[in-house]
Amino acid sequence: MVNVAIASVGGQGGLTLSRVLAVAAVYDGFSVRTGETLGMAQRFGSVVSYVRFGDSVLSPTFSEGEADYLIGLELVEALRALRLLKPGGLALVASVVKPPLSASLRREELPAEALLEEISRYARTVRVPAVELALRVGNPRAVNMVMLGVFAATSGTPSDSSIRRAIAEVVPARWVESSVRAYELGRSFVLSGS
Amino acid sequence: MALMGNEAIARGFVEAGVSVVSGYPGTPSSEVIVTLHEFGAGSEIYVEWAVNERVAFEIAYGAAISGARAAVTMKAPGASVALDPLISSAYGGVEGGLVVLVADDPGPHTTQTEQDNRWLGPLAKLPVLSPSSPQEAKDLAVAAFDLSEELKLPVILRTTTRVNHAVGDVVLGPVRPPQRFREFRKDIPRFVRAGMLFNLERHRWLSSRLELTEGVLTKLYPGANRVEGSGELCVVTEGAAYNYVREVLEDLGVGASVVKLSLLYPPPTEFLEDALRGCREVLVVEELDPYLETVVKRVLYELGARAPVYGKESGHLPREGELSRRLVAEALVSVGWVPKTAVSPPAGTYPSPPPRPPPMCPGCPHRNTYLALLLAIARAGYRRDEVPIFGDIGCYALSFQPPFEAIWTEHSMGASISMAMGLKVAGYGGPVVATIGDSTLFHAGLQPLLEAVHKRVDVLVVVLDNSVVAMTGHQSTPAWGTTESGRRAKPISIEEVVRALGADRVYVVDPYDLDLTVEVLTRALREPGVRVVVARHPCALMEVRARGVTRRYRVVEDRCTGCLACVRTTGCPALYYSNGRVRVSEGDCVGCGLCARFCPYKAFEVVEVG
Repeated sequence: MVNVAIASVGGQGGLTLSRVLAVAAVYDGFSVRTGETLGMAQRFGSVVSYVRFGDSVLSPTFSEGEADYLIGLELVEALRALRLLKPGGLALVASVVKPPLSASLRREELPAEALLEEISRYARTVRVPAVELALRVGNPRAVNMVMLGVFAATSGTPSDSSIRRAIAEVVPARWVESSVRAYELGRSFVLSGS
Repeated sequence: MALMGNEAIARGFVEAGVSVVSGYPGTPSSEVIVTLHEFGAGSEIYVEWAVNERVAFEIAYGAAISGARAAVTMKAPGASVALDPLISSAYGGVEGGLVVLVADDPGPHTTQTEQDNRWLGPLAKLPVLSPSSPQEAKDLAVAAFDLSEELKLPVILRTTTRVNHAVGDVVLGPVRPPQRFREFRKDIPRFVRAGMLFNLERHRWLSSRLELTEGVLTKLYPGANRVEGSGELCVVTEGAAYNYVREVLEDLGVGASVVKLSLLYPPPTEFLEDALRGCREVLVVEELDPYLETVVKRVLYELGARAPVYGKESGHLPREGELSRRLVAEALVSVGWVPKTAVSPPAGTYPSPPPRPPPMCPGCPHRNTYLALLLAIARAGYRRDEVPIFGDIGCYALSFQPPFEAIWTEHSMGASISMAMGLKVAGYGGPVVATIGDSTLFHAGLQPLLEAVHKRVDVLVVVLDNSVVAMTGHQSTPAWGTTESGRRAKPISIEEVVRALGADRVYVVDPYDLDLTVEVLTRALREPGVRVVVARHPCALMEVRARGVTRRYRVVEDRCTGCLACVRTTGCPALYYSNGRVRVSEGDCVGCGLCARFCPYKAFEVVEVG
């Protein structure tokens, strides 16, 4: 059983990422559940998606301290979701900061380095220059697909072929090509460190 | 294949041969109709959003009394809107299957209350089914139609967010052709609720039909109610809670029999008597109210059993909020079925970063409208605390957050106008403002408006018209000329309707023209009578999707002093503070320019794009 928490800001594509993972895991023959809350009203708000796959999964969510992996598409949200990670769990975080309005109204500074440092104080952390990688495929919104590649290469599941099929199924046609390339860059970031 | 619970329900409707589907958008129920639209079900099947849930229900009911298979979808409070016709429908019954999807929201994640619609069963005297997974949601959706048709009663399919929005692996079944109109036979005692003797007779008929439910469902869907595992420790559960129970019992190695119900009303008494007869202790795990708990206690009483029953009434599980694996594990500890050491203590202390509640989107026209309203209140010579602003249900209710803190209430669909009227007739001397979205006005705001006009009560009604049901994911409104299914519709004009209702003054403004909007609102605040200001500009997300972004703003660094005037005035999530300056998040700005307008240092400049 693999428990994955995806922390993001509404609109970053956290839901697309969880759906691609779910579809790919079903292609691999796993039992799958995801849990999320939907609706436009989540945009620009904190969003956590839960993805679970294994031999037999029933619950769409899990509790604090149960995630094997935390995928953070944004650092403030990754920090907020840390409590979901189990002891020894792995945080895969994109070096992206979107300061919330509440912080700006208080003139609170949220530098990426400080957030990364705080996160790594609580969990083993893989930091990913996801925006740079996404920009390389010309699609700054593909941070989620970069992180998909990072997750798949790190965890070894779902299989590469299932993920490619899943991207083609879930992502709108005109974004499939750049999504696949972003996914590949995420993979090779882990596998070859570039 | 991987399907979301709501997609699975949509599939189930199609497999069952539904031919009429209606509903009103509401999280977590909306994706059922959205899915049917995406798969082009409009050609053979009537699939349309209705103006509100009661209309949606009545459309489906009108279809079902003619032998058609019909379904209607709604969120939890929508069930209250549909309650009048729902309860009466139990007396008339149906010829074609009628399934009423009611999606509750333990948490709550996106709903004003944690209303537990399982009580609709005993209240309306209609069968209630509850699935635990996307697969079961699909299978029960099909079974619900067959059950409905056999009993000749509408059947409530009651779900919760963690079923509606869970994605899981689903095995599909065969699709039956849509079952459309067969015949509508005039049957006055059956369908005319004006005859009191008929009603008494139909009530007896209803009770006799309900009695058949357990037997019929067990034949149609043998696994609906089942016992898994064995032992004298028994857990009774249903819905999303079943998943937590099964997993946690296995994780902790507890031998117990899990009594899983899909039929919640009428309670499957025969099944429960068998299942509970050998229980030494019973734990009831369910979300929201102790509904099953009262059922279980009644069954045990009838059996003469003395087994203790644990649950919400005993304080072992909370009555509020949604359940989780952890809460179920903790309940097993507190009833003494597992040692305390088996459950790890809750996670230690973690940092709490600044909160991020969902704000109004960049470029949202509602931001301009509320800003204009606050400016107009000042310009008309009032303090902000002298002019109560009543809110309503929709994205614009997010204006309660800083920096606007605009609305004083957000209550129920359409309530802004009637509650503002109530304040006036109670003797409030100052001006009152009701703010209501276009779809909410159509849904339940027109009758309150008529009431205010008729009683000549002074109220300013601001219609925040973004021409779409935005909050639930952009569904059509009665102002559209073509619906999602491609059906040609007659667009309804808000200004024509409110004029026809007799509003004393009607203005239409584009809130992107902030000066004019402030001017009109200032004038309207000072006028007597029922004034309606329609503030119309498309939802920014829709506009970007349709036309793309043609310009964005950026901050010229050496001009920005970090005074935060832009952030404090607009609360736009595309602006943020960093290194003593304000910056614009490039990918989020849609170029509305409101920030630039309120910068005292002219620090924003336009960047043309595309």
